[in-house]
Amino acid sequence: MSRTKSPYPYWFILPAAVIFTVLFLVPTLASFWFSLTRWDLFSVEFIGIENYRQFFREPFLIQGLFNTVIYAVTTSAAKTVLGLLLAVLLTSGLWGQGFLRTVMFFPVLVSTIGVGITFTVLMHPTRGIINVALAAIGIHGPGWLTDPTLALYSVVLVDVWKGIGLATVIYIAGLASISPEYYEAARIDGATRTQLFFRVTVPLVKPATVTVVTLSLIGGLRSFDLIWAMTRGGPGFSSDVLASVIYKQYQAGFYGLSTAGNVILFALIAVIILPLTLWFNRKEVEL
Amino acid sequence: MNSRRQLFTGLAALAATIVIFVLPFLFIFLTAAKTKQDASLLTFTLPQQWQLWQNFMDVVSARDYMLLLAYFNSTVITVAAVALLVLFGAMVGYVLQRRPSRWNTLIFACVMIGLMVPPAVVPTIWVLQWLDLFKTRTGMVLIQIAYGLAFAVLLFRSFIATIPRDLDEAAIIDGAKPWQIFFRVILPLLKPVTVTVIVVQSIAIFNDFTNPLYYLPGRENVTVQLTLYNFQSQFGTEFNLLFMNILLVTIPPLIVFIFFNRQIVAGMTAGAVKG
Amino acid sequence: MARVVLENICKSFGSVDIMKGISLTVEDGEFCVFVGPSGCGKSTLLRMISGLETVSSGRILIDGEDVTYAEPSRRGIAMVFQSYALYPHLTVRENIGFGLSLARRPKAEIEERVGKIAETLQLSHLLDRKPKALSGGQRQRVAIGRAIIRDPKVFLFDEPLSNLDAALRSQMRVELTDLHAKLKATMIYVTHDQVEAMTMADKIVVLNGGRIEQVGAPMTLYNEPASPFVAGFIGSPKMNLYDGDAAAREGCMVYGIRPEHISLSATDGKWRGTVRHIERLGADLIAHLTVDGLGDLVARCPGDTPMVIGETLFASPVAGKEHKFERGAIG
Ligand SMILES: Nc1ncnc2c1ncn2[C@@H]1O[C@H](COP(=O)(O)OP(=O)(O)O)[C@@H](O)[C@H]1O
Ligand SMILES: [Mg+2]
Repeated sequence: MSRTKSPYPYWFILPAAVIFTVLFLVPTLASFWFSLTRWDLFSVEFIGIENYRQFFREPFLIQGLFNTVIYAVTTSAAKTVLGLLLAVLLTSGLWGQGFLRTVMFFPVLVSTIGVGITFTVLMHPTRGIINVALAAIGIHGPGWLTDPTLALYSVVLVDVWKGIGLATVIYIAGLASISPEYYEAARIDGATRTQLFFRVTVPLVKPATVTVVTLSLIGGLRSFDLIWAMTRGGPGFSSDVLASVIYKQYQAGFYGLSTAGNVILFALIAVIILPLTLWFNRKEVEL
Repeated sequence: MNSRRQLFTGLAALAATIVIFVLPFLFIFLTAAKTKQDASLLTFTLPQQWQLWQNFMDVVSARDYMLLLAYFNSTVITVAAVALLVLFGAMVGYVLQRRPSRWNTLIFACVMIGLMVPPAVVPTIWVLQWLDLFKTRTGMVLIQIAYGLAFAVLLFRSFIATIPRDLDEAAIIDGAKPWQIFFRVILPLLKPVTVTVIVVQSIAIFNDFTNPLYYLPGRENVTVQLTLYNFQSQFGTEFNLLFMNILLVTIPPLIVFIFFNRQIVAGMTAGAVKG
Repeated sequence: MARVVLENICKSFGSVDIMKGISLTVEDGEFCVFVGPSGCGKSTLLRMISGLETVSSGRILIDGEDVTYAEPSRRGIAMVFQSYALYPHLTVRENIGFGLSLARRPKAEIEERVGKIAETLQLSHLLDRKPKALSGGQRQRVAIGRAIIRDPKVFLFDEPLSNLDAALRSQMRVELTDLHAKLKATMIYVTHDQVEAMTMADKIVVLNGGRIEQVGAPMTLYNEPASPFVAGFIGSPKMNLYDGDAAAREGCMVYGIRPEHISLSATDGKWRGTVRHIERLGADLIAHLTVDGLGDLVARCPGDTPMVIGETLFASPVAGKEHKFERGAIG
């Protein structure tokens, strides 16, 4: 006498579990080991934490680490703030707001490489449209991608251009879920428009903020293709981020060092995202 | 509210949006229609001479019709990966939602890891080599499935929660085997969320650059994004062809966007409301 | 002989015991109703009979065969759910024929059997519609059709009428009773509504807190309730029940008298009370009195009885209709 079998058998999970384990979990776990080795095409040799030492000794590698943080924080800050403002604007009954939403969202779906190449051309120091237009109003435009102090921020601008539509759409969904009664109640209490925004909209749209901040931080920390298409980390190493360092070390055959970069990237994401998630959740309980 | 002021703000916003978001695409289109000399000036002008078709033929036939091969490869990879992603993702989401057990915590942890943790690329190549899947389209498909599963599982799980369990039980009494309940009752009811997963993942996989760069090097496996990237170095001076290529890469998502705008937005904003 | 026999069925979810030893026989062709307050375990018991829920201990026999551990589809049962559970993506025709199609029966056979059942249930003109395009009553009939086509030995119904409005509910009660008369199959029917139980059942099983309180024909339960719980549950308006001093004066633990078994008089009687509230229902009148030494007392009298609020009246129990319980408490 056997008990009746569950109609939800575990083998349904099996194909996904095998693929995910073999191609995601195993490499992730293996990376901790490989990051402790001198690993190239021919051999693997255990060298302890030498790769990490080297990582924090080489100035350009450290710069990559800093650039990653700068890139992630600036892009997500800009997307959060602008996304919320644009969402409020685009839900205020503006003339043509449906069209604006559509147009702003489209870059989200376009190939990052295509966008990168296009903006590289638009940002050409002398002939690029941006500087030509600036010159027309008497401003001498900078070398957007050729100035080492500016290159990273130029890529940040393009990243925001490409991703702002998603942040806006997420905020629009968040705003739509706020009951209009809150606004009516606050208005009866005599709140001004600014007060409405800061006292009603901002707190009540928090789930959307959590989504936008988390998504864009994770995306920003992992970001590779836009930077690669626009600057290849240059000029010099001025716009290198961890993901491009990982690729460069891989190309150069320093697999161990590359993998150490990967582990540092996990650690960075964990260090930034986990406390943030806990903080977001704690504030939820207080409400 | 003052409707004239609203109209004015509206027009100003419209103008700004067009400059910021439409001009770059217009620039792509115009440059793709120019002659080589004309395009190399990088100006924002109408082409002196329209040669859209000519440029199209040139790009397609360049490097021994590599673009066609790339479209073929990208399509095969995208279709195969998305089909399996839907199937496997729905199966996991289904069991995860329907059968509470201590495994669920583990599966959820995997989903979170899959959403957050960047793949460890070199060790992944090592695994692929060991499986004889490095530089193969099969390997690429499996990679895309592994990387897309977390998103698909989450979406399917929350949708399946809205399907009453009574339906499963009615099917059990009707004599359905577990796989029949899933394929004949549940899967057909997942259509809306399936469309969302298909559309969002197709665009993501079609546009993916990084993963083919690492896992699918080699001329015969080239994908659309890689071709574009390679053209950039090869046609460094032939901007008309480069932008024709960009135009061609932009068109598939544009078409998908026109037809599935709503599903894309639904998929990408999932979680914005409940957190 | 589709008898259903339950032998000492127990069920626990984790550490919570939901069913505490249920033994019961439902005879072949009987219309048996499980009734009890919400949460008493009626659905759980029905689902154990269907095989959707496992039993923790005990045995289930259908038609003499031990099906305690059999697959639901092998038990010869069919079930109609409270939500109807129609497959939303299939037409009425496909919904009714789903089980046969799973069993890979020939198309012609499915078509013929579905057609015949649709005719008896007056669904023929709706066969190509999806459930969404049907009214509540029609959905109900499709769900019944899906049960009939399995040609089951036992029909199981879990509160099938609770999603319908009052008028449709009484119509469907009649239809279900007719169906039972026509099919002569064993039917087990779960409801929390004692009116449904009284009007439809051959046999009522009153459940309370995972135990059977009483089993019997409707009028047996009405006339001879075995416990204060059954007494209070069966009959409307509820039986007046008293414990403590009031019951002790009658020489029992719990004393009960039905509203319809009270006679009122302006001059004399057993109890003296004041009219607090009057419900005029037309044919009947329900009087709520406050009685010295008893508390609230509800009495049912003819609709044309003259009465005003605040009036002092005397009430007496009809001889032989009093209920005196030695055990139990008022639920
Ligand atoms: N799967 C389950 N897990 C835990 N408790 C359950 C489960 N199903 C039902 N119960 C509990 O069992 C009791 C009886 O439920 P049920 O049979 O649905 O009652 P009824 O149908 O009589 O209203 C309820 O207290 C309910 O909370
Ligand atoms: Mg129930």
